[in-house]
Amino acid sequence: MTRIVDPVLDDLRQKILRMGSLAEAILQKSLDAIFKRDAALAREVRIDDLEIDRMELAIDEAVLRALATQAPVADDLRKVVAIKMMATDIERVGDLARNIAKSALRLSEDPAGELPDGLRILADESRRILRSALDSFSQYDAKRAADVLDDDDVVDERQDDVIRNAIAGISRNPARTSQEVDFILVAKNLERVADHATNIAEDVILVTEARNVKHASKLAADPGAAEGDGDG
Amino acid sequence: MTTISRPAERSQLYLTKITTRDLNVWYGEKQALFSVNLDIERNRVTSLIGPSGCGKSTYLRCLNRMNDVIEGCRVEGKIALDGDDVHGEDVDPVQLRARVGMVFQKPNPFPKSVWENVAYGPRIHGLATGRAELDEIVTTSLERAGLFAEVKDRLDDPGTGLSGGQQQRLCIARAIAVQPDVILMDEPCSALDPIATARIEELMEELRARYTIVIVTHSMQQAARVSQRTAFFHLGAVVEEGETGKLFTDPREERTRDYITGRFG
Ligand SMILES: Nc1ncnc2c1ncn2[C@@H]1O[C@H](COP(=O)(O)OP(=O)(O)OP(=O)(O)O)[C@@H](O)[C@H]1O
Ligand SMILES: [Mg+2]
Repeated sequence: MTRIVDPVLDDLRQKILRMGSLAEAILQKSLDAIFKRDAALAREVRIDDLEIDRMELAIDEAVLRALATQAPVADDLRKVVAIKMMATDIERVGDLARNIAKSALRLSEDPAGELPDGLRILADESRRILRSALDSFSQYDAKRAADVLDDDDVVDERQDDVIRNAIAGISRNPARTSQEVDFILVAKNLERVADHATNIAEDVILVTEARNVKHASKLAADPGAAEGDGDG
Repeated sequence: MTTISRPAERSQLYLTKITTRDLNVWYGEKQALFSVNLDIERNRVTSLIGPSGCGKSTYLRCLNRMNDVIEGCRVEGKIALDGDDVHGEDVDPVQLRARVGMVFQKPNPFPKSVWENVAYGPRIHGLATGRAELDEIVTTSLERAGLFAEVKDRLDDPGTGLSGGQQQRLCIARAIAVQPDVILMDEPCSALDPIATARIEELMEELRARYTIVIVTHSMQQAARVSQRTAFFHLGAVVEEGETGKLFTDPREERTRDYITGRFG
């Protein structure tokens, strides 16, 4: 049976999937700009990001309409809310790609400089995690989403590697401080990409299993967490 | 050693207004309710939802023994109000129906004045001595039903001359006038426009400070808005009962989900 709400949910889902692929593409482009030292690519990222912003507005509008006209409940409601939250995270990924492209512009002025291996590894990891998160959404696959949550720590470690090496590089050769700082900035932005991918995976778990796993480990470790757990 | 009731027991005692245990109802040969167990919490609005014919009205009518007057209707099981069996030998159904008042889908004021509509119950139940006291009950009841300001200059006009929404609030005032504990409402807004509906919904929120309210509604949004607890009935049984916010975001039972999201087919 097709319900009136089904095509509405379907449309939202298509919109967020398109927005997600665009975010993946723009992240890829910003990283290509870094690794190929391509200033022209870096400049394109800025334009592409505007399209992501436009898509976020379209999703906001569609979400408000869906809530107003369909008054969704249960898993329908969780889907609509998750899509709204995902749109926010995907839009942020676009902004982060733009930041990376800014670093790419600066780094392109120094075509001879070495790029750290750690940055490549981190870039691959972050991209892979974003891809997994978006895939887990497109298939409503809670298992895959849970794997994304586990992977987040790996990215943190990679980021720390890059930062440590960059700081060492600065003390070895202060003349290259500007480049090393950009490596740190790119690493930081990539780590944030993975954070947003984690949020997306958490949204998928909210949709599929009706569990809110946000801040789960942090809150579980809080000694005050034992109280106030009832349903008041 | 003194025994102190455990906190869980105390809060049970405090929270539960009506307990229903193993309630079965038949109309002739046909069984309409199957082993219903349901607790209605004090000072809360409880919504009963479910497809047409699932037994919501039948259950509601059990709570004040309105089924007694339906020919061929047989009720088995236990319903306790504040711990007392409503089917107890010493229970007078007329008194019970004052304590557990009812408001129907279609506003049904008597073909009498506004004042008479409200004063009738307290008078026959002997709740007032003299006109002054009755006047006071009428005023307070109309005020609590959020109607007094609109009708204070028309108390002698016929109740049937009011708008649908006003008539429904008049019926609520009539129920309130006999000092009930519980107010049952069977689809009270289904004949009302959105504004009149909103007024009744606000009223429920105010009234629950004093009364326990059970409402049958076909509007999922209304159930979600007005009630703290929701029970989903299907085929004469309670499928799921729980906190309203939880039931509408993450129902425990698949059948509940299918019903509230319109997947039933
Ligand atoms: N007076 C009656 N005599 C015979 N059968 C009845 C009577 N009242 C209800 N029933 C039957 O009992 C079952 C439950 O009816 P009930 O009116 O309680 O359902 P409901 O959930 O209130 O439905 P609706 O949403 O349509 O008001 C139905 O099968 C109905 O046909
Ligand atoms: Mg009914």
